[in-house]
Amino acid sequence: MPLDPAFIGIQLLNGLQLASLLFLLSVGLSVVFGLMNFINLAHGTLYMLGAFIGLSLARWTGSYWIALALAPLAVAAVGALFHVVLLRRLQAATPMKQVLVTFGLIFIGLDSVRYIWGNRTHGMAPPELFAGAVDILGQTYPAYRLLVIGLGLVVLVVLIFGLERTRLGAVVRAGVDDRETAMALGVDVERAFFIVFCLGCGLAGLAGVVAAPVLSVYPGMGMSVLILALIVVVVGGPGSIGGAALGALLIGMAETFGQVLVPEFASVVIYAVMALVLLLRPGGLVPVGRH
Amino acid sequence: MAMGRDRWRAVAAGVLALAAAVAWSRADFFGHELLAQIAILAIFAMSLDLLVGYAGLVSLGHAAFYGIGAYATALFTALWGGSAWLAMPFSVVVAAAAALLVGAFAVRLAGVFFIMITLAIGQMTYAYFFKSAAFGGDDGLAGIARIDLGWIGLNANEPAHFALFALVVAGLVYLALDRVTRAPFGRMLVAIHDNESRLRALGCPVYRYKVAVFTLAGAVAGLAGSLAAQHAMFISPELLTWTTSGEALIVVIVGGMGSLIGPAAGAAIVILLADYLSGETEYWMFFMGAFFVAVVLLAGDGLYGALRQLGRWRGAAGRRAQ
Repeated sequence: MPLDPAFIGIQLLNGLQLASLLFLLSVGLSVVFGLMNFINLAHGTLYMLGAFIGLSLARWTGSYWIALALAPLAVAAVGALFHVVLLRRLQAATPMKQVLVTFGLIFIGLDSVRYIWGNRTHGMAPPELFAGAVDILGQTYPAYRLLVIGLGLVVLVVLIFGLERTRLGAVVRAGVDDRETAMALGVDVERAFFIVFCLGCGLAGLAGVVAAPVLSVYPGMGMSVLILALIVVVVGGPGSIGGAALGALLIGMAETFGQVLVPEFASVVIYAVMALVLLLRPGGLVPVGRH
Repeated sequence: MAMGRDRWRAVAAGVLALAAAVAWSRADFFGHELLAQIAILAIFAMSLDLLVGYAGLVSLGHAAFYGIGAYATALFTALWGGSAWLAMPFSVVVAAAAALLVGAFAVRLAGVFFIMITLAIGQMTYAYFFKSAAFGGDDGLAGIARIDLGWIGLNANEPAHFALFALVVAGLVYLALDRVTRAPFGRMLVAIHDNESRLRALGCPVYRYKVAVFTLAGAVAGLAGSLAAQHAMFISPELLTWTTSGEALIVVIVGGMGSLIGPAAGAAIVILLADYLSGETEYWMFFMGAFFVAVVLLAGDGLYGALRQLGRWRGAAGRRAQ
């Protein structure tokens, strides 16, 4: 196994790319969980929807960028629909019921996608601007993957800015920190939850479109990524954007290097990382608030 | 009312046993295959009910121990050439050990965290067997032998006889778990589920109870897995996917969690429903998912709960009439 700097450098970039995808996928999950103690297990389904909708949009319009812009909006709309139709009805129910319903939705979503798009695996071409390769450390590296890394960074910056500088961000911070007091003070945590939830769904869809040219698009693509995203939420600390970023970085690197160095035990590596973090810091890397 | 509830369950168990006997005697080859599947799923679902319905630990990765039991049997018979009769206890022990290792860590986490971790464990176990060359990877392993029933004059390779064997094992598992849930151990689990902090304040070693039930559930799931491996005489990583864990959870909820007999009946319902649906449409998962969501929203106590509710209404109406 060549451990020369070029190889390590390439794997570091791959890890960053995976971390970027995982961040997009898990930041919505994390903040929603921190805000309302609710985990949407159908989040992976939204990711899958984003990829398939993006695929169709790119085919119809011939433009990757249109797909990139519109698919997340479509997925956010689906999330809004789900929230209005089902989630509100579940507000009074136990967290367990909420989780079980979203689990049932995975089955529904999976077959819906199979019904509309068929069972095959699809590929999606990257945009022309980023279709080539770049020279890094003497190796060629797909330019599109650098775009993925860049997108993740941009979203991170935008989200942090939004959290720190906007009114919605202040409400979210208050709600995650101490929901009861915030509500008692008249802060509309419910509305903030709705907006944050839709935003999170949109980001999951974005992750799907972004991932489509790199990973293959097929029904069921959401599940393996969902697991990693859940681990990122747990490891990073629920409710924290920075935590999601750190967790995504850690898990992205662990998964990439694990798959390359010890493929049979890559999953054990992830589990070990998760166990270690939870044993040392039970609240996650960046623990937030108290409920 | 403990007495009333126990009587209900005994009646339900009797009815189910009778139905199973009638079905078995009248079934054809395909019917016997279905009955074996139902029996195996019933065992798996009952083990999950112990976790979900009694201890309140919702596991979405229970298929991991089911699969470990199945692969242990495959290892013992196909790779090592051992007898299936020994393979079964071996599988149970291996699955129990794995459950102990996982549970010791996982049960420290509460609520949604626990669900996520179990989901992760399930996927990781799947990924391991998928990649493992020793266990055949995603091609799977064939050549698994069934138990030798020759000493009672039966041939386990006959679908009818294997189905009978599976049903008998399912019945025995139900009786054993029924005792466990009625014993102080089982009642303590329910109490912990009900109000954990109160139990902790009373000095109860909650952690040990949780690890114990997780291990027991894993062991029984391993037994189900061993039977599944023998039934198909073939094993593949597909047995460990989240859909397997999910289907078991659906069975538990639909049948009525916390009753043991509910999930056993639920296994029959779900298998027959899936069989019917997959004959009608390719998208049976859609309807199964929709059915499940409807049950969770409208009938949280599942079929068993609904029947008991009916019984209570009729009882109340009867009393009012007097």
